[in-house]
Amino acid sequence: MATIEVQRQVLPILGNPNQGARFYNPDLPSSEPFVPGHRTCAGCGPSIQYRMTSKAAGDNTILVGPTGCMYVANSSYLCTPYNVPWAHTQIGSAGSFTAGVAAAYEAMIRKGKWKGAYPNIICEAGDGSASDIGLASISGALYRNHDCLIICYDNEQYANTGIQASSRTPYGGMTTFSPPGPEVPEGKKLYPKDLARMMAAGHPHCYVATASVGYPIDLMNKVRKGLNHKGASYLMVYTPCQKGFVYETPRSIDLGRLVVECGLYPMWEWNPEKREFDYSFRPQSMRPVAEYLKLQGRFGHLHAQHIANLQQFANEQWQMMGIELPEALIKAADVKNQTNMAAAAEAEQVALTV
Amino acid sequence: MATATATKKKVRINGCVASAQAAKYADVDVIAAYPIRPYTATMMALAQMVANGELDAEYIVADSEHSQLSIAHGASSSGARVFTGSSGVGVQFAYELYSPISGSRMPVQMMIADRTLDPPGDFGSEHTDALSTRDMGWLMGWACDAQEAFDNHLIAYRIGEDRRVLLPQMVCQDGFFVSHITSDVELPDAGQVKEFLPPYKHPYPLDPRHPVSHGPQIMPEQGPPLQLERARAMEESMAVIEEVHDEFAKIFGRRYDPWVEEFMTDDAEVVFFMQGGHAVTARFAIQHMRERGLKVGLARLRTIRPYPTERVKDVLSKFKVVGVIETNMGLGSPSSGGVLYADACAALYESEKRPLVMSFMAGMGGEAIVLKEFYWMAEKMMAAQKRGKIEKRTHWVGFEE
Ligand SMILES: Cc1ncc(C[n+]2csc(CCOP(=O)(O)OP(=O)(O)O)c2C)c(N)n1
Ligand code: SF4
Ligand SMILES: [Mg+2]
Repeated sequence: MATIEVQRQVLPILGNPNQGARFYNPDLPSSEPFVPGHRTCAGCGPSIQYRMTSKAAGDNTILVGPTGCMYVANSSYLCTPYNVPWAHTQIGSAGSFTAGVAAAYEAMIRKGKWKGAYPNIICEAGDGSASDIGLASISGALYRNHDCLIICYDNEQYANTGIQASSRTPYGGMTTFSPPGPEVPEGKKLYPKDLARMMAAGHPHCYVATASVGYPIDLMNKVRKGLNHKGASYLMVYTPCQKGFVYETPRSIDLGRLVVECGLYPMWEWNPEKREFDYSFRPQSMRPVAEYLKLQGRFGHLHAQHIANLQQFANEQWQMMGIELPEALIKAADVKNQTNMAAAAEAEQVALTV
Repeated sequence: MATATATKKKVRINGCVASAQAAKYADVDVIAAYPIRPYTATMMALAQMVANGELDAEYIVADSEHSQLSIAHGASSSGARVFTGSSGVGVQFAYELYSPISGSRMPVQMMIADRTLDPPGDFGSEHTDALSTRDMGWLMGWACDAQEAFDNHLIAYRIGEDRRVLLPQMVCQDGFFVSHITSDVELPDAGQVKEFLPPYKHPYPLDPRHPVSHGPQIMPEQGPPLQLERARAMEESMAVIEEVHDEFAKIFGRRYDPWVEEFMTDDAEVVFFMQGGHAVTARFAIQHMRERGLKVGLARLRTIRPYPTERVKDVLSKFKVVGVIETNMGLGSPSSGGVLYADACAALYESEKRPLVMSFMAGMGGEAIVLKEFYWMAEKMMAAQKRGKIEKRTHWVGFEE
């Protein structure tokens, strides 16, 4: 059978990736595939991510949006902020619908039914979609190696349904399905599913990376690396949600840096050619987890023991990346060196007086 | 017709392979497969065609039926012609996707070879799998043999992809009775198919050159107009369905009544009303009864969605007694039997001359309906005719005297 060769796009990698919050870069395209005017909350991490991601991809792009905030709050009332083709799909269909789009373009270009360079096909799945209900569909798409990029915008909870615990909600995170109480003082008892590592370990032929809105150029470069990789890629992006995390809205980008500096969101890339992790990303400093936790209402109930547990968890993450721990962080994992969160202390005081 | 008949050929294949052949003739672009008996044989045949280079398509082994239908949805939304299929519990595993696919007006095609649902893990054919999705906005009908299955696939693509329709299609056949029994099938000349089935072109695909948004969120008052539009598409498909069947007859030389096929009904007083593969045995049984002087006939429903209400009313009003053969489960339904009874009665409600209607639970579990059972049912119907009244709405055949 005579077939037409599929032409793929190659996007340039930007300089100064680790420059922090300022993401002015003259090399960025001026086009905005994701325009303002949508109905997400002020400071919404996922939508900041959406803008960066789609900007990095450019206009020859198709977006897929499984149910979640980036569908509901973006495309409300038949108005949409997408300047490129976008389709809603079911919350469990993240990988499968995207695979269908990719397969369609492979076949249509090969059979001469569509002419042009193969588009960037990007799925923007929430963590509920990616870590729970749509996990198998994403694993299927990665396994079969469709030429597409699946992004999990990780706000560590089911946000759109009113803040419920997902497999990505951190230990100690308060949600409406993991509220703290006298019997369960820490709220969420389980530690988060290590989704990105699962994806890398199970689909080693894919480009897999973690990123954060705190490092915009790094994030955009990872998007481009994922798109340039011929085959499937998976990107897991920390995207704070002020409604669920309960913080001051201007601090979204700060949190995006702090979470990395505290070791709670390890930044790495999986290199599919070399079949190895790249842990060379270094934040400007390493900090105790309490500095990150105390900015968020969802951790306001934590006791000294819970904070120590989270420090222990963060220390394990640093060690997993082969990074030596400063003395201060080792000490911070000892409950003796932690105090209750202000709200928790206050609650204890109230409990004693009644 | 200008088409050459030189490359037409007769082959002996089963219903599953006939469906695979139809997908090949339709030059589908994307195929989404997942194994479940009995429809699996269709996907096995397609896998081989792709491996042999006979068909250029993306063949995707999905991770579930939910994924199969989502892949089909994504591919159809992008402008590709898509083929998928399932059986039994597989049809239901994908349930979430049926409404989104018809709601976004994507003409995905799904082949069904029926299988009972669980319990009890039976392989036999019951129509409950596909029928449970019948109100989701898919065009739906049953073939009774392999040739008709082949033809129905081409006809369904042509109807579903018509800009006046744009709806997905479930092209159904009984598991085993049709899917696994070989019979002679005429495969057409590729030129005939080209003449009949133009390339798929959705008006608003996901194409970076003409950005569109599919399926944005809406306010409550924005919902009803969309639902009304989908309902109208279903209604207005009826004229297209008739047109396409005419066109098919002209090009391929086989004429099907799109709605209800009548067999020996001219002077019939009691008729069986049914769909699918058991109609083949019913025809034989009716001939047998006719030779013994019984005025029995058959009305076979070929399209159940959209439901041909007027046509069913007109056809069934000609008779004294109608016996609906269900081959499906409608637990707690109006007849406490299957689901076909209620639709037939609704169609007859406005008739001036309503026949008596009763319902038979036969062919359940994938059992064949044998000659003596057809006699047993005919006797129940004739007794009702004599009495002027039915004994009860639903009889479980084989469980009563
Ligand atoms: C099959 C199904 N189950 C449940 C829901 C309800 N639902 C709507 S949005 C949502 C939350 C999704 O969470 P996530 O994927 O993390 O995205 P976020 O809302 O956090 O952006 C859920 C559970 C649904 N739409 N479909
Ligand atoms: S609830 Fe959270 S994720 Fe959803 S729009 Fe608001 S800030 Fe964004
Ligand atoms: Mg989420």
